[in-house]
Amino acid sequence: MRKIRSFTVMVCLVLLTSCSQNQTAKNSQLALIKTTNPSPVITDKSVKRNHVEAIKKDVSSFPQIYDVAVIKGKKGTLISYKVKHLYRFRMKQIEKDITKMLEKKYPKENFTVSSDYKIFLETVRLDEKIKSGKISKKKAEKRLQELIKMTEDIK
Amino acid sequence: MASNQKKVTPQQKSYQHLQQKHEIKRPILKNCIKAFFVGGIICVVGQAITYFYIYFFNFTEQSAGNPTVATMVFLSMLLTGFGVYDRIGQFAGAGSAVPVTGFGNAVISACIEHRTEGFVLGVGGNIFKLAGSVILFGVFSAFVVALIKTLLTMWGVI
Amino acid sequence: MLKGHQSWVFHNRPMITATGVTGGPFEANGKLANDFDLLYEDLWMGQESYEKAHRILLEEAIKITLKKANLHKEKVQFLFAGDLINQITPSSFAARTMQIPYFGLFGACSTSMEGLALASFVVNYQGAKYVITGASSHNAAVEKQFRYPTEYGGQKPPTAQWTVTGAGTALLQPNEPGMNHPVTTAATIGKVIDMGLSDPFNMGGAMAPAAADTIMAHFRDLELDPSYYDLIVTGDLGRIGHDTAFELLNKSGLKLERKQFQDCGLLIYKSNQPVQSGASGAGCSATVLYGHLLNELKKGKYKRILVVATGALLSPLSFQQNETIPCIAHAVAIEMNEK
Repeated sequence: MRKIRSFTVMVCLVLLTSCSQNQTAKNSQLALIKTTNPSPVITDKSVKRNHVEAIKKDVSSFPQIYDVAVIKGKKGTLISYKVKHLYRFRMKQIEKDITKMLEKKYPKENFTVSSDYKIFLETVRLDEKIKSGKISKKKAEKRLQELIKMTEDIK
Repeated sequence: MASNQKKVTPQQKSYQHLQQKHEIKRPILKNCIKAFFVGGIICVVGQAITYFYIYFFNFTEQSAGNPTVATMVFLSMLLTGFGVYDRIGQFAGAGSAVPVTGFGNAVISACIEHRTEGFVLGVGGNIFKLAGSVILFGVFSAFVVALIKTLLTMWGVI
Repeated sequence: MLKGHQSWVFHNRPMITATGVTGGPFEANGKLANDFDLLYEDLWMGQESYEKAHRILLEEAIKITLKKANLHKEKVQFLFAGDLINQITPSSFAARTMQIPYFGLFGACSTSMEGLALASFVVNYQGAKYVITGASSHNAAVEKQFRYPTEYGGQKPPTAQWTVTGAGTALLQPNEPGMNHPVTTAATIGKVIDMGLSDPFNMGGAMAPAAADTIMAHFRDLELDPSYYDLIVTGDLGRIGHDTAFELLNKSGLKLERKQFQDCGLLIYKSNQPVQSGASGAGCSATVLYGHLLNELKKGKYKRILVVATGALLSPLSFQQNETIPCIAHAVAIEMNEK
């Protein structure tokens, strides 16, 4: 009994300390735990910011989801979001609905929609890299294509 | 059980009645609460490992499942080998038996136990002594469910 | 001499001149650690398998017994021993090491008293000058055979019992008047009783009627009153079986006092050890009797005791095939030699 108790205490301590150490961290380090709400990323110069903001707003209007991240590139747009906990059983249906809505509203564009945490995390990371100027527009575009491919692969 | 019950003589019945009075019952509610928390802790550890794989490796949420399961089984095997897991099991019951760590424990405990009979007949023959039925019925029920789904899609129900 | 239906009275009063009691690490933390002659720190006892460790337990107990009696093993005519493992190999292998003519016994956890009764009978009728009898069990070896692997994290219900790691042996020889040793005076051989219980995690409940039956038979055959004994001690009924047996006996009209009726399975461990309902195993009654209880007799705490060892005669196969658990109990009466 005592061993078990000390074991549980240990586990709790490890979990607590590992969470509290990241207080001064970048957004991407906590992207999966708290709401980040990243601003949309554009790798294609010809696109206006307002247009992408509008896409983000449209997607955010779904009540089942929160925290939408959008990357607009030359060949396609990657949209990732988090699904609210209670709706996680209906993730597939939500994804379908969002895709349908986007295709209807913006018929000329190409959308890739994902609720996967990994895609969301990478989107936030890409955003940070672009903002800090560590990455060129060209490389960012390439990374976006990789992400889109990755998203298509897991479907 | 039904056929056994029929053969009970009145004498046996009255004894069983008397015995039941003294029998210590399993504290079900307490066990449920313990199982809930220990099972929950195991799942939190699993979730942490999933996040670890998503953050530091190129795994998506879906593909991170496999390495997470492998890590959890590995951890439970270590705990079994150190003789800790059976104590957790006595405390937590289903809380530590139902998650995949319980499966790892069932495999490795049988393996440790029969090490003395040699690698082929001992370890090889007995490693799935407890987990074997999980695998058999797991695979079989997966097959049945897949069959039903295939038929339903063929008929256009789904 | 046969008395009544199923009891023997030993008029020549065979003496228990020496005992040897060995135990494992769990027993070393128990209540009766001081009454053990040899306690191992490790369940493996320096062997490569638990079955071999099991054999060592018994071998060492026999060696200690011989050493205490200052006797060479060739002087001993017979060995009566048994345990719980398939084909009682640990006892037989120990008999191979000791090279003493051997009777292998199986009475599950009642083996200790089965052996003591038979050994007393043989000695009583000049069938032997020296006889060693004993029983042993090893927690991990028994769990492996009857239940799940030792490290498996299954939850045991509160009715379950903990198998004792230990061996107890005793040397019997014909009575020599004036020697201050315990003697056996009577024995009752029990019949197999099955009350239709089939839960292998509740052996105490299954064995209680067998114990009650043997105790009642003993008092009926010998025409005695329960107050004749200072202590009536059951083998390994555990908490549930002990309470049940007590109620059964009281209902049948035997006037027992609670203080007078105890259980080896409840004596051996401390209350904070995680043994659920108490101890069990062939080694349970053997170690408690040959260690603790005989010491208490010698100290004069008790004058006469009746030891009733109970056994559940199941196999791992029989309970998986939904058979009920038949049980047996044997009783032996022990008192101090008259001075």
